[in-house]
Amino acid sequence: MGGPIDDDEECDIPTATTAATGPVRVEVRGLTKSFGAVRAVTDLGFTVEPGQVTGFLGPNGAGKTTTLRMVLGLIRPDTGTATFDGVPYADLPDPVRTVGAVLETAFHPGRSGRNHLRVYCRAAGLPIERADEVLVQVGLADAGNRRAGSYSLGMRQRLALATALLGDPAVLVLDEPANGLDPEGIQWLRGFLRHLAHEQGRTVLVSSHLLSEVEQTVDRVVIVGAGRLVREGSMSDLRAGADGAGTVLVRSPEAGRLAEALRADGVQLALDGTALTVTGRTTDEIGARAFAAGVELHELRSRTSGLEEIYFQLTAGQGQFAAPTAGTAVPEGAAR
Amino acid sequence: MTRLVRAEWTKLFTTRVWLAMLIAAAVLTAGFAALMTAFAGNPDSGLPPVGTAEFEQTALAQASGATILTIILGIIGATQEYRHRTATPTFLTTPRRGRVVVAKLIAYALAAVPFAVVAVLVGYVTVVIYAGARGAAPSLTADNLEVMLTSGLALVIYAVIGVGLGALLRNQVGAIVAALVYLFVVEGVIRSIPATSGAYKWLPGGGLEAMTATVDGPELLGAWQGGFLLLGYGLLAALLGTFLSVRRDVV
Repeated sequence: MGGPIDDDEECDIPTATTAATGPVRVEVRGLTKSFGAVRAVTDLGFTVEPGQVTGFLGPNGAGKTTTLRMVLGLIRPDTGTATFDGVPYADLPDPVRTVGAVLETAFHPGRSGRNHLRVYCRAAGLPIERADEVLVQVGLADAGNRRAGSYSLGMRQRLALATALLGDPAVLVLDEPANGLDPEGIQWLRGFLRHLAHEQGRTVLVSSHLLSEVEQTVDRVVIVGAGRLVREGSMSDLRAGADGAGTVLVRSPEAGRLAEALRADGVQLALDGTALTVTGRTTDEIGARAFAAGVELHELRSRTSGLEEIYFQLTAGQGQFAAPTAGTAVPEGAAR
Repeated sequence: MTRLVRAEWTKLFTTRVWLAMLIAAAVLTAGFAALMTAFAGNPDSGLPPVGTAEFEQTALAQASGATILTIILGIIGATQEYRHRTATPTFLTTPRRGRVVVAKLIAYALAAVPFAVVAVLVGYVTVVIYAGARGAAPSLTADNLEVMLTSGLALVIYAVIGVGLGALLRNQVGAIVAALVYLFVVEGVIRSIPATSGAYKWLPGGGLEAMTATVDGPELLGAWQGGFLLLGYGLLAALLGTFLSVRRDVV
């Protein structure tokens, strides 16, 4: 784009490389953590399988970052364990070669990207050339000698990813890695993560507060709300359950008559003049019902996808705001 | 451990702090040494005249004034992990955090050796040239060599104290301010008040004075005792830091 060095350099996706260690399963069991009086995570457990991209989803403040930091031994849980093939992070004989993590972008602004990577090559006993290899891998080769403080947000994310890749780890943990990436960077990241999991058999755990951001990337989802597990399963199961769960907008000069017909079927809806907002039915089903009732339609379209609606329902009331639809919501911080 | 020490050196020498500190130490040492020489023998200054052993030892000990810079260098080395949030990748690479503290202590102690050599040599050359011009350049007598050696050692030990203090306090600005206020204000008060001056020889400033002072002052330990006392303070701070501070959650 503008200059010779920008966020959108061509990136080489590594081909024949595989992780230094074999496939590793991540198991989280009964994690609980409070910060003072605030309960951040409660009895959280899930499994992350090799060869798949697992999405770790939940609204902001749901405890995702705290959980990931507990998994990585940076935060000490009150109770519970997180293990990599049975071994806690702190006991891993060679953590850098087993797990790579992208948390916040952390580096000294006065140090070049290449030297930042060299520090961790030295500390982990990796050959110093790994710094240059991972710079190429994430598309920062030309910016390696620049002070990291001059990097754009997207370049910082790439440097953080490069740091995680240094040890060629079997497990990759990424906390909101799309933050700061431009659309092209996000597209690249999706392909990169899928490649690492599907082609190379690595274990990839990626967090996001937006399902839409990762729904094309992930194979499995772990959804948390207010520090508790609300759903764990495959993306295809989530999709199957989401069919028809979205909201559909209908405009009709006979909206009232269509509303009666749908209500008779037990459908939830809201009527506003000539507009209907219908929940829990597909556009196909509503179209067929309207046709059967002989109601003229002027507009029939899906407003939110079923997946988004399911995600919202699963997490509503579990974050900082109580939603009226969630009858099962537990007030945040409520002790059990 | 070797690779962790090398990693700390890579951190130290890939930013410009060390160079700024080295230049400042050289300027400070040369400045104080020149000042001492300029006022040597001046009856108002109370300084012994050029050519006396007392003058030479005082002037050659001026590198010890740069201890304030090596303690700051050590503080920055330990606290920059928190300031720039690199504690996260550092502790991910080395989950046994105590090893990081030990590596920093070793790395900064060793890095401070050439630093100290430069500062002491700059002081020596300054005195040789200036005092030589005023009539008598110091020769390398045993006493002169000893004061240069202890001054250099003080610089090294203060770097260790800085690492320990930084590990304990974590906050860079807070740790530097605390060190400056303590060394320049608190110890000065303790030293001058008769009721507390007896304790002074057991404090870090008293230890430093024991190592490097040449003019008469309060009751002090021997030079080597002072050195071990200072080293003890540094290691104690590092030990407390490891168990109270470094092990805390990195959020």
